[in-house]
Amino acid sequence: MSTEPTTAAAPSPVAVFVRLKLTLMRNGLRRSPGRAAAFVISLLAGLLVAALALIGLVALRGVPHAGALAVLLTGILTLGWAVMPLFFPSGDETLDPTRLVMLPLRPRPLTGALLVTALVGVGPIVTLALATGSVIAVADGTAAAVVAVPAVALVVLVCVVLARAVAAASVRLLTSRRGRDLAVLGGLLVALGGQGVSIAAQRLGRPDGLSVLEPLAKVLRWVPPASAIGAVDDAGHGAYGRAALGLGLAVLALVLLLWWWRRTLTVLMTAPDSSTLQAVEKGSGRRAGGAERGLARLLPGGRTGTVMLRSLRYAWRDPKAKMSWAMALGLGLLIPVVSSLQGNGTIYTAFSASALLGMQMYNQFGQDTSAFWMVASTIATPRDAYAELRARALALVLVAFPYVTLVVVGAAAFIGPWSRFLEVYGLSLGLLGALLATGAMGSALFPYSIPSEGRQSVAPGQAAIAWISLFGGFLVAAVLTSPLVAVVVWLHVAGLTGLLWVLVPAGALYGLGIAALGLRVAAPRVARRLPEILVAVSKG
Amino acid sequence: MAGERIAKHEQGGAAAPDGTGGRPPAVRIEGLWKRFGEQTAVHGIDLTLPAGHFIGLVGPNGAGKTTTLSMVTGLLRPDSGVVEIGGHDVWRDPVGVKSRIGVLPEGLRLFERLSGRELLGYTGRLRGLPGDEVDKRADQLLDVLDLSGSQHKLVVDYSTGMRKKIGLAAALLHNPEVLFLDEPFEGVDPVSVQTIRGVLERYTSSGATVIFSSHVMELVESLCDWVAVMAAGRIRAQGPLAEVRGAAPSLQKAFLELVGAGARGAGQNLDWLGGGAR
Repeated sequence: MSTEPTTAAAPSPVAVFVRLKLTLMRNGLRRSPGRAAAFVISLLAGLLVAALALIGLVALRGVPHAGALAVLLTGILTLGWAVMPLFFPSGDETLDPTRLVMLPLRPRPLTGALLVTALVGVGPIVTLALATGSVIAVADGTAAAVVAVPAVALVVLVCVVLARAVAAASVRLLTSRRGRDLAVLGGLLVALGGQGVSIAAQRLGRPDGLSVLEPLAKVLRWVPPASAIGAVDDAGHGAYGRAALGLGLAVLALVLLLWWWRRTLTVLMTAPDSSTLQAVEKGSGRRAGGAERGLARLLPGGRTGTVMLRSLRYAWRDPKAKMSWAMALGLGLLIPVVSSLQGNGTIYTAFSASALLGMQMYNQFGQDTSAFWMVASTIATPRDAYAELRARALALVLVAFPYVTLVVVGAAAFIGPWSRFLEVYGLSLGLLGALLATGAMGSALFPYSIPSEGRQSVAPGQAAIAWISLFGGFLVAAVLTSPLVAVVVWLHVAGLTGLLWVLVPAGALYGLGIAALGLRVAAPRVARRLPEILVAVSKG
Repeated sequence: MAGERIAKHEQGGAAAPDGTGGRPPAVRIEGLWKRFGEQTAVHGIDLTLPAGHFIGLVGPNGAGKTTTLSMVTGLLRPDSGVVEIGGHDVWRDPVGVKSRIGVLPEGLRLFERLSGRELLGYTGRLRGLPGDEVDKRADQLLDVLDLSGSQHKLVVDYSTGMRKKIGLAAALLHNPEVLFLDEPFEGVDPVSVQTIRGVLERYTSSGATVIFSSHVMELVESLCDWVAVMAAGRIRAQGPLAEVRGAAPSLQKAFLELVGAGARGAGQNLDWLGGGAR
């Protein structure tokens, strides 16, 4: 091949790229039968979904809210295409422009070739099916049918080009350390997104639930590429001006996206790559900001303030710690909100805030990974260990106390009744203290590694320890909180509800006391087991 | 097996005639054992390292150097044996030991989500030093180790050499009597090696002790005045550099002889390699 005279016509880049993609796919499948099976299954599943969606949408023809549904579906589809490259950055090697940097390629033919390659695959087929189904669902009459053909093409093209443009724009980010950090946080989005979907499904499941979609669809129908689907609908009703505008918007979006994509590609292929950039970049420069320095000054001196500051910095900077904090804060709030939206909310769901934040005390040393040696080499006495544990608990309380207060007050205000506020608040504080105590014990006795890469939160082989620590600890904490529960029950049974205010100071004091006791009991065990803890947390 | 070439005078313990002036040895190890399942990593070693020296612990990969240093510094619990640092038992008197030693382990992380400067601030304050003093020392260490330019970068974005240097700074911050460095020069560029050497030489010249492990014999030979040779979990020789080297032309040769690798000629079976014939 290379000996051919240069005068011979170069093969079209489109053909080369498509062939390359097919070859890569075939070779990928050849690597293991498991992979081949997974591919075939996903292919079949994709086609099945596409077929079902097509049939479902066709069946929707003539249903009152079909137009809104079709527009919304296209919107969700577009969103999916936009975020997909962020979750699967290495999804398609053929489309990774950084692999092509060394080749003499001009932007225009390259963009064309990459676009055609991107259109080969299951995703575009599913999108094509959904878009076709959507226009069939809304198209009414000849004019609509005429508009439908370019509309389908526009939807598919905008989606694919959008995904490619986002991927090209974020490739630098996704291959950097910062990008990998963000990828860890991706799991959080999925978890929280799941809650959103479940709420939405509940809403839509109600009688006449589809009418909820109308206002949203009214806006979305002007957002490309859903505007193309809207155009089909309009053409069917004789609103040709609106139809033209809808199609025009989709075309404009496609042109703009193509321009953005080509520009990013050109920059990517001509600017120095990330290894060079890192040296030049300001990088992760972290001059302590005003807020951080202010916080550092407010914290107590000595080991306490030092450890608190590091814990809080890690909560923000370490992707694993950040995810676990965000999970706790997010779910602690979501549980009351979701249950009240679903119509079965009680103020007692506010316990989720102190339960989830208290759980953050578990496996404190696992969060350090093998850097725990730096802690271990400065702990010589149970007193040092106590100071270390107490500082970590204080850092947690610094966030947990105002947060729990906020969630309980919020639950009382939005779910009610206020008459239960005092007891729930008091019990929450007691539960928080009990979890701090058992968390400190769990950290001392059942430490386990948290792998720093990937989304797992337990190292292989240590899941049992993690379960014992979390589940056992939670049971013990529940038992420890039971005296407060008994007081509440007794006050209610004895009709002394006027005395329920006692629960707030009692819960606070009880929580404080039990936490202090737990730290005291755990400290000598930490001091004694330093090498064992270090081994246990160094497996990640 | 090569015979044990233990220097005569260091077995006397405290009364060492080598200029330590009656100070207790920096490290005294007696009958130290560690097994991991079936495998014995450290095979009942006895070792006495005098104070005020630049000491090299040398041995091939898997000799048990890291395991030994981890046990000596209190990061790994031995199965049996006694370890004393400056006369204090590591496991019975951690208060007496932990403030006297500085450690740079191999294969363990640092708190990488802190910047270099924050890491030093954290370590120093954890060691109980007053804040201003920590900041002053951190400034100087960052400057000497040529890290001032990246002091606000997160350690996770540091190169290997920079990590070793910031780890060394963290280990030196509280001015320990004995410094343990596990493979401090592994993966470090020549410029950083020179910087680290300079700092360590200045430190030992004031009477402190450095104990470092390495398998680069040239480095050990040029830096150390005392060496201990380890292989397969045992101490094969210990003593002043000149004595361990003996009649061999270099430490490398003496070492190969000691670990029994000297006789194995490299590549007798590769007679086809090189030359004109294919």
